Amino acid sequence: MATRDPSMICCFRLLFLLLFSVPLIASSSSWASMHHNNWAVLVCTSRYWFNYRHMANTLSLYRTVKRLGIPDERIILMLADDMACNMRNNYPAQVFNNENHQLNLYGDNVEVDYRGYEVTVENFMRVLTGRHDPAVPRSKRLLSDEGSHILLYMTGHGGDEFLKFQDSEELQSHDLADAVKQMKEKNRFKELLIMVDTCQAATLFNQLQSPGVLAIGSSMKGENSYSHHLDSDIGVSVVDRFTYYTLAFFEKLNMYSNASLSSLFNSYNPRTLMSTAYYRMDLYQRPLPEVPVTSFFGSVMKTIHTDAAYMGLSIPPKTEAQFLPGDGGNHQLRIENEPDLEKDGNKQTKELHCIYHEWLNLLQERFENTDAELLFRYGFGTMVFLLTISTWLLA
Amino acid sequence: MAALCRRFTGFHFLLVLVSLSISSLVFGDWIGDDEGEQFTEELLLKPLPDRKVLAHFHFQSTAHPSPDSGHHHHLFPKAIAQLVQKFQIRDLELSFTQGRWNYENWGGSDPISSTNAKPPGVELWATFNVPVVEIDTTWKNLTHALSGLFCSSINFLESSTSYTTPSFVFGLNVSNIRYGALPREAVCTENLTPWLKLLPCRDKAGLATLLDRPSIYKGYYHSQKLRLTSTKLSGIILEQTLTIVLQPNIQRNSAHSLLDGAIQPSWSISSMFKRNLTGSCVLARTSRILVELEKNIVSKLEELGHGGSWSNSLLDLSPNPFRVIKEVNPFPEESNSILFEYVNSKEYEPLDVGIKWKLPFVWSSPHAPFHASRFLMGSGTERGSIAISLQSTKSDEYFRSKSNECRMQAVVFQVVPWYVKVYYHTLQIFIDQKLQNLSDVIEKIRVTPSEDKKLPGTLELVLGYPCTVQSVALTLDFDKGFLHIHEYPPDANQGFDIPSALVTFPNLHSSRIYIGDDSSVHSPLLLKFQEKNVVLSYTEVLLVPFTTPDFSMPYNVITFTCTVLALYFGSLLNVLRRRIGEEERLMRSKDATKRGLIPLIVSKITSKLRGMPRSKPLLIFAVVLSVLFHYIVN
Repeated sequence: MATRDPSMICCFRLLFLLLFSVPLIASSSSWASMHHNNWAVLVCTSRYWFNYRHMANTLSLYRTVKRLGIPDERIILMLADDMACNMRNNYPAQVFNNENHQLNLYGDNVEVDYRGYEVTVENFMRVLTGRHDPAVPRSKRLLSDEGSHILLYMTGHGGDEFLKFQDSEELQSHDLADAVKQMKEKNRFKELLIMVDTCQAATLFNQLQSPGVLAIGSSMKGENSYSHHLDSDIGVSVVDRFTYYTLAFFEKLNMYSNASLSSLFNSYNPRTLMSTAYYRMDLYQRPLPEVPVTSFFGSVMKTIHTDAAYMGLSIPPKTEAQFLPGDGGNHQLRIENEPDLEKDGNKQTKELHCIYHEWLNLLQERFENTDAELLFRYGFGTMVFLLTISTWLLA
Repeated sequence: MAALCRRFTGFHFLLVLVSLSISSLVFGDWIGDDEGEQFTEELLLKPLPDRKVLAHFHFQSTAHPSPDSGHHHHLFPKAIAQLVQKFQIRDLELSFTQGRWNYENWGGSDPISSTNAKPPGVELWATFNVPVVEIDTTWKNLTHALSGLFCSSINFLESSTSYTTPSFVFGLNVSNIRYGALPREAVCTENLTPWLKLLPCRDKAGLATLLDRPSIYKGYYHSQKLRLTSTKLSGIILEQTLTIVLQPNIQRNSAHSLLDGAIQPSWSISSMFKRNLTGSCVLARTSRILVELEKNIVSKLEELGHGGSWSNSLLDLSPNPFRVIKEVNPFPEESNSILFEYVNSKEYEPLDVGIKWKLPFVWSSPHAPFHASRFLMGSGTERGSIAISLQSTKSDEYFRSKSNECRMQAVVFQVVPWYVKVYYHTLQIFIDQKLQNLSDVIEKIRVTPSEDKKLPGTLELVLGYPCTVQSVALTLDFDKGFLHIHEYPPDANQGFDIPSALVTFPNLHSSRIYIGDDSSVHSPLLLKFQEKNVVLSYTEVLLVPFTTPDFSMPYNVITFTCTVLALYFGSLLNVLRRRIGEEERLMRSKDATKRGLIPLIVSKITSKLRGMPRSKPLLIFAVVLSVLFHYIVN
């Protein structure tokens, strides 16, 4: 071993490289894990004139997210049929979601990305997973990355663990979960909010497993989602209840509002919805009262000066909170829920000092709450029990 | 260091400013220059005989061919320039149409009908400057690009079942042409908006401000067209036209209440579009409005003794036109159409061109010599036949006056999807209801039979027959094919659309010549009218009903077969495995040993205890536990 093996040197070099690149990768991933863009995928899956309301639902959401700042190139709008220029439409090139006809949802600047026969389960899955034919233009792709917040809104007719597309195909909860899982693996989103307005919408989320996913459905298993009201001029129902009340919530907001997701969730009243809105939050890490709705429904970007371009990959890790539009919102919420948060803070500091203090606390609480004598009896019983077992084993 | 940096950036900024100002000086002159990029906007208005009004918008942008301009454009839309560059497009025409052009009432032989009457849905054809082997991929990529650009499903034209290669219909005898049509494509605001975004002023200024979406889409017909021509010599010419047929609101006139029903409705720009026209697009080289009076109206005016006047006893044109442009007709005995020109310049007062009719008046539009229509024959869901009929409109005295030697030529072009299996050998041609020998009538024929799931069937046919013929009819038999379950569209019960057939009359042209046009007027729209365009007409879209399976049938079949199989195998196994003698014996023994439940449990426990002599400590333990439990609970 007088001369060193060149392959060994190579190995060492590689090791060194790896060692050095680890912090670099870590820092770049922290850059990537910041929320820096918003996307929206809005899907109306129903065909035929009597499903006018589903298109109106989708277009209402389209208008809302556009108003709150998501640009058209970051919205994928899928409409399964043409309602605005439908022969049955008494108001050509206009779509309304209210009887009063004050707001034309189909204004002069609607960009529909997938329409008519293009709205299929296949295309929907392709959009989510990003597996397209190379010829497909950018406007039809969801070009999100690991820093994206995506809003996925779907409306149509659904059932137990499925959603009908165009009255001929079905998207099953397994398909949706698979697509979301694939998206997570491909780093196509940071956080995903799925909002579904169909009958038995909650069942569509049953199979979801990927972290960072928040889901809202208009109704529980076994419940129907109903339309809100009928427009006698147009001749069909124009909006669904869940979407109507969602819009009612958003109409009060503007781009800089600080309303949190939990306030949106709390705004749904089962009596007015005639169904129970369902939220699946177990896959979502952040506390909902601290997440502003604009982190999904809007796109308010702050430009932050970074030296990234000049210093290569070594970017100082920044906290996410700096980047979020809802700083003020956090503050406001803290004022509202002051005592609770303080308690949490105390607990955390204690934990830092000494872990078994927790145990003592727990015991003390128990003593306060339960009958001490009963506890003593139980304790005595278990001691005797242990004693007998040990003697029996020895014998 | 930072200070130095700042100084540097400041210097750079200055440099940029200087260069910008220089370039703006240079390019500022270019806008009006003949060699640079140009943009013109024009609007033609024309009353139609059936109480409607035609509005034809014509926007033209040109980019000079010089490659030194690189990717930078001043007026020309970058998206289109990139498209031309990437796909090496020589010619392209894309139209989005809703409604059907009424050839009988709105005219069949004038330039507008021959260039802007389009089939319903989307029609696209393009020629490329690429090698023949690459054409199909280029076409595919082009359809995808256009579908992204115009928010429509043009990408359905990518599959080889939906496009074809016509050989002589478009007059261009080239192999690098591709043609495709989507008859059921919806056309709405989302298609118009990107189209308007190609204009330098969008719909914020100039004539495009008139395009109020609800009033446009309320119309009877609207066709939005994009025509691209790219040559090495002249650069890229982009023509965007929008042809709309609107029904003006009837304004009740109390003085003539009796005649109201007969008098044509009066209209003006503001009443039709619900918007006012204020000023032109400043980037436009010309911005003008033309009002056309057809030759039949003009002849009536001449009869009444005021030819070419815009304010007479029949109608009132307001305001006064800037110029009157007259057509020159090859037949001096006939009267000609007149154009009244308005220049749309920056004015404080909106330019509200309109016609007020004073007397009831009926006229007709110039027809094509033959009116083409297409229909289905036969019944049932198995087979049928397609018929194309050409009916003489008897209007063209020019042909009738000529001798019998006059021969008419008609080119029929029809693309049929593969699942409509046309038998081309069954082609029959009837002239004046008499069956003809095919070789007498057909001058040229080209058939591309369909291939299942690969190619559509294409028929191109040149017919020659005497001008005096009253009717020509073609029939073709077909079988309805079977589709795979995945090939049915979601609304298959509605039936399938066969795209419009195209009938052209190659020896008839719709060109017009105007007096004093070229130098003084310089209008791209009028230049377009002077081009030798072949008279053509599109037939109706055919709706072919198909046998549609009950799509829930597979599930029914599966469940039903499963039930039957389960029943069969279940009972079979039961019969095979059953031993009746054994069962009877078991029954008898069961009867003998019948006892109560509690004695059974007791006996079992005792037997267990007896079987396990070492279980004494366990017993003691159990007793202790029970005592303890008793103590605790109390």
